[in-house]
Amino acid sequence: MREAGTVERPAESEIPEDLGRELAEIGFAAQRTADGIPTLWVEREDLPRVMGRLKTGIARPYPVLYDLTAIDERLRRHRNGQPASDFTVVYQLLSPQRDQDLRLKVALRGDDLALPSVRDIYRNADWYEREAWDLFGIRFPGHPHLKRILLPPTWEGHPLRKDHPARATELPEYSLSDDRQDREQEALRFRPEEWGMERAHEDTDFLFLNLGPNHPATHGVLRVIVQLDGEEIIDAVPEIGFHHRGAEKMGERQTWHSYIPYTDRVDYLGGVMNNLPYVLTVEKLAGIKVPARVEVIRVMLCELFRIASHLVFFGTMVQDLGQMSPVFYAFSDRQRVYDIIEAICGFRMHPAWFRIGGLADDLPEGWQRLVRDLLDYLPPRLNEYERICLRNRIFQRRTRHVGAYTTAEALEWGTTGPGLRATGMAWDLRKARPYSGYDQFEFDIPVGARGDCYDRTLVRLEEMRQSLRIVEQCLENMPLGEHKARHPLTTPPMKSYTMHDIETLIHHFVEVGWGPVIPPGEACTAIEATKGINSYYLTSDGGNMSYRTRIRTPSFPHLQMIPAISRGHTVSDLVAILGSIDFIMADVDR
Amino acid sequence: MRWTLDDPQNGLTTSKGDPEEVALRHNVVMGRLEKLVAWGRKNSMWPYNFGLSCCYVEMATALTPPHDIARFGSEVIRATPREADVIVISGTVFAKMAPVVRRLYEQMMEPRWVISMGSCANSGGMYDIYSVVQGVDRFLPVDVYVPGCPPRPEALIEGLLLLRQAIGTERRPLSWVLGDQRTYRGPLPSQRERKRKTRSQVTELRPTDRA
Repeated sequence: MREAGTVERPAESEIPEDLGRELAEIGFAAQRTADGIPTLWVEREDLPRVMGRLKTGIARPYPVLYDLTAIDERLRRHRNGQPASDFTVVYQLLSPQRDQDLRLKVALRGDDLALPSVRDIYRNADWYEREAWDLFGIRFPGHPHLKRILLPPTWEGHPLRKDHPARATELPEYSLSDDRQDREQEALRFRPEEWGMERAHEDTDFLFLNLGPNHPATHGVLRVIVQLDGEEIIDAVPEIGFHHRGAEKMGERQTWHSYIPYTDRVDYLGGVMNNLPYVLTVEKLAGIKVPARVEVIRVMLCELFRIASHLVFFGTMVQDLGQMSPVFYAFSDRQRVYDIIEAICGFRMHPAWFRIGGLADDLPEGWQRLVRDLLDYLPPRLNEYERICLRNRIFQRRTRHVGAYTTAEALEWGTTGPGLRATGMAWDLRKARPYSGYDQFEFDIPVGARGDCYDRTLVRLEEMRQSLRIVEQCLENMPLGEHKARHPLTTPPMKSYTMHDIETLIHHFVEVGWGPVIPPGEACTAIEATKGINSYYLTSDGGNMSYRTRIRTPSFPHLQMIPAISRGHTVSDLVAILGSIDFIMADVDR
Repeated sequence: MRWTLDDPQNGLTTSKGDPEEVALRHNVVMGRLEKLVAWGRKNSMWPYNFGLSCCYVEMATALTPPHDIARFGSEVIRATPREADVIVISGTVFAKMAPVVRRLYEQMMEPRWVISMGSCANSGGMYDIYSVVQGVDRFLPVDVYVPGCPPRPEALIEGLLLLRQAIGTERRPLSWVLGDQRTYRGPLPSQRERKRKTRSQVTELRPTDRA
């Protein structure tokens, strides 16, 4: 194991030399950020040209639009020489080849909140631009369907603007009169013409089938409208936003510390795995190094949650395809994982157990026995599942060559996680950019070959085995030490440091009551979560709350891919595709 | 209504006595029809396969072997609201979802019951935020509130058992032409009041430093 203090505050990085040369004629301003991601400000007229060149026109290009979001800058005080802006649109690009991110920012002033759509360059910009329109009111001329995506079509206002109230209790009280019920239902009616779809073609009348928002196969409140010619899917329109819980706005009114429980509920099968990118980012902004023990405990719990999440995926996936029993086995096994989590954290699904600079508590006495029991119990069970489910011929017939896509398509849509690895690309952030000490562990990255529903299932099953390997190494090599960093911004501070004099008492009191003040700056940390890459992009304005919290979740781009991978298949294939994506609606809509 | 069960360990204990009476006892249940109906209802509360968010995972966990809700006759989840007796509002009630929830509830046949599961459905919980309705009782009549975020499967089962008890004592008109047309609901007393005394007497909590 490494020595204590493994999270270094990264050096503020420079613009890559070749990019500087390539973009010199277009012109840009550089910004320094705490996370070391090169950040460039470009003019909005230049944006499509810059994006086009970054995607295809340079050596070692940036093929992935990792994230697209906006910041309402109107109330921000610490901008440290950034170009003047009322609303900033942020594009984050990713180059697996360079193993590097690139952030582009575009400043918008006054009421002129419009910039060219890049939907034709990066296909997955489609939903991200709709989201920016919905939540900030930023227009993207050139976008064919710039409609609300997360909020109801009848909604007024753009909630992530600083002048929009955050609380429901600040808005008029909710009531659902019969009139309103009819209005809302009417607004949800699907009109194919609005999506450029034909109702009939030559000698065929298409059938429009509505799945959801409450349907046993949609795994949550998702609606998919399928255009059918007989059994064949011609096109599909996923509709999301039924699970929009305002998690990003919530970050602007909770203290840095009290926001942690909200992160648990984003990917609600991932538990403390969601805390990790958040606390890592806050630690990056605050410059906290955590002890090695904290890192290893974090890794162990994250991997336990990965197993629990994949078990739910596995059980529901095979159930959707007609096997009735495995879901019961999978949930029973998940119960055993939860027994450990509960013994350590005191809670099952949402422990909120990580803290800024450490953990809520140390491991309880006797945890080793519980973990050892699981390590003995689970591997034979996984072998059995492989035998009874994955080698089942019906299962194979229903998943092989269904919903298949290539690595290039996956990158085009921003797909990460097992969905990307099933196409054969071994891209796992735990190996590619080890965080929280993952470089100290031995494990393999399972990959598939065909990128179909079968491979996605197989990859996840194998990932559970690899997670068990990691948990075993945690068990055998748990470092000694403290469960919190000795840093003034560690929240709450170690109790043993608090009761010495009035200073330490006041410090503890302020930190717990008012919350820590994080230095101004911007940082983003990405981790390999259960469903794919999850990151928090936090902007601190030097207050006890975040100025802007951006949660980039893996499920959002994965769902956007549904129409592209289900065309030509049948409705029953769509059920397999939905199951194999393994999405969580809270992870999509946040 | 009088009825007995044979004890499987000790053979047919009810088979003693006059053979005619025994045969009668084995084959005929005597009682008032409305009690028989209530008894049937309370032992077959079929939930609607409906979930909103995190709580739904714990609701699904209650159906699986470690918790086994089948013991109480509620494992038959129905995919259509028309066949379901009880809807568990398991999760956050979103502004975009509320009209859909109401529509689904309206499609359920009487008699129907609503369990509000978890803090979000009870009151909005942690999510006092623009897109969340502050409690499903803003637009649906709720019978049982189950606290927790999310409640453990055991808590849902407790809520279900309380509802079961209430349904057992509920009286409804048997026909639209016969007798009293009113519905008499069973009592659903506050569990916080009931448990306060024993809870406040607890002096030792489970230690957190031992597994």
